[in-house]
Amino acid sequence: MNSMKPSMALPTVNSKHLCAAGAALLAALAVVSLLTGKYPLTLEGLLAGDEMQLRVFWNLRASRTAVGIVGGFALGIAGFVYQTVFRNPLASPDVIGVSSGASAGAAAGILFLSGAAQVTLASFAGALAAVGLALALSALDKAGRHSTIVLAGIAVHSLAQTVLMCLKLTADPERELASIEYWIMGSLNAISGYSIKGNLILCLLCIAVLFLMHRQILLLSAEEGEARMLGVSVGRLRLAVLLAATLTVASIVSLSGLISFVGLLAPHGARMLTHRNDAGTMLLGGLLGGIILTAADILARSVSSVELPVSIFTSLLGAPFLIYLIVRGRKET
Amino acid sequence: MSFFTVSDLSAGYGGRSVIEKLSFHLEEGCVLGILGANGSGKTTLLKAICGILPHGGSCALEGIPLDGLSPRKLARLCGYIPQRSGISIDISVLDVVLMGFNPQLGLLEAPSPKMKQDALRALELTGLAGMAGKNYLHLSEGQKQLCILARTLASGSRLLLLDEPESSLDFRYRYRMLELLRDWTAKGRRAVLTSLHDPSLALNYCDRLLLLTGPDTCRLLLPGSDPLEKMEKELSLIYGSISLHRCRERNGAERLVMLKEKEEEINAGRDENHICG
Repeated sequence: MNSMKPSMALPTVNSKHLCAAGAALLAALAVVSLLTGKYPLTLEGLLAGDEMQLRVFWNLRASRTAVGIVGGFALGIAGFVYQTVFRNPLASPDVIGVSSGASAGAAAGILFLSGAAQVTLASFAGALAAVGLALALSALDKAGRHSTIVLAGIAVHSLAQTVLMCLKLTADPERELASIEYWIMGSLNAISGYSIKGNLILCLLCIAVLFLMHRQILLLSAEEGEARMLGVSVGRLRLAVLLAATLTVASIVSLSGLISFVGLLAPHGARMLTHRNDAGTMLLGGLLGGIILTAADILARSVSSVELPVSIFTSLLGAPFLIYLIVRGRKET
Repeated sequence: MSFFTVSDLSAGYGGRSVIEKLSFHLEEGCVLGILGANGSGKTTLLKAICGILPHGGSCALEGIPLDGLSPRKLARLCGYIPQRSGISIDISVLDVVLMGFNPQLGLLEAPSPKMKQDALRALELTGLAGMAGKNYLHLSEGQKQLCILARTLASGSRLLLLDEPESSLDFRYRYRMLELLRDWTAKGRRAVLTSLHDPSLALNYCDRLLLLTGPDTCRLLLPGSDPLEKMEKELSLIYGSISLHRCRERNGAERLVMLKEKEEEINAGRDENHICG
């Protein structure tokens, strides 16, 4: 990046190397994640076809690891998209109420439905309802300003919080309230093979769409009039991009509960490393998200005899990393 | 039929109208400069033509009304340079220029190698050769303006709408930018509409000048042929008391120079056709 030569090859070599390193680290963490847990798995046992080991591997570890990787990746990508589209480094998928909608939906699911799959569905429906409402409200503003979406998101967020509070009030404190609270804290614990496929496929599809639309996402970061005069149908494009980004988050959060910090931190980390917003940086943001969430999940199920909420560890891992990047950035400039 | 016509254009903010029923037209190959005091509606006029601001009246380029066009079609015809680009993320200079090709690309299509070459050539043309890989945010304000100019020139539109594109440029690059615009316009079926900060630049590089003297009054000057007294009178409606002089460059080319006079000497006699140097 310091060379004076015009470089045709963007993303730069720098971001390619970083992505390769990130992918390697993520793969290593995936192996650790597959082998970590209460039931001891060994490579020999799996290869020899030990039935119990294989069942634990496929039903518990593999799906859990998949959600860790894809979920972290999705949160990183969604965060990147939100921060770029809203031109705000503090924007995260929560801005348009997806997390609080998912929480309220999950709470309703825990109260009125039964079974993990129904709770997942209810939470997904809650997230979609919140996002749909926020975007519909913002469409009332004919000028289509960014700030309107943020304001609509805040309104929907408080509305969903109120719904959540009412649901908590009616919940039985011994069982239901506890499981609502536990759900909100976030965990990859309740995930098992049969319930995740649909969510993962949707999530990966949306991620693919976002990568394809990367050039358009950068155009949205220009000022609205400027973007329009670059041939962008700002309102429609922004709606499509936000919808895809939010669907990725909704499909993950409805499985895992709230996961703090990954969506905010991972894209920041990627940008601080590459000083760019190109597709390589977006990929790196996803990889960092996967690394943080997988590492946090490994810690969540290994540091104590009981399973801990994963958000504790995403924050514990994320905050020092962010501070390191800030200090490093200061030195450079 | 004129190349570009504006009829009865009105626009403003929150019910307060800044320009009212403005009409003018622009011929092919013409650079029209817009001059006006601060707040006289230069930016409003440009934004209304772009359709960024809600407005009344209509604009047409080669008979095609601009109002009903999709952003994509509009962007193929018209390029716009805002006073300050809103780009505020880390992005390479080359990628900023490549944004200009967006109207010619499909939604998911990537810029072709030829577009990249055109973009690099546009950067060279604007004096930013070798900056393609740099971070746009690390450029100076003037360099940013040149980069956005490169983006607009490369994009292949027919009418350029520029909002004080020279305001952050140093002395040398102000002239360079106007030279570039003149060269670009000379290539046929093209025209430029630009508001300018610097009246001397406008007097010497624009074929016509549109003076915004009130919400519903504008005056047209032809700096090449109008008599000095007329231009002085009209320009002083904007800038207060001023005087115009014809000077010669070393190579003999004639230039117009505008000087600010002290306000109390408005009607003091002076040599209208004084030649300095």
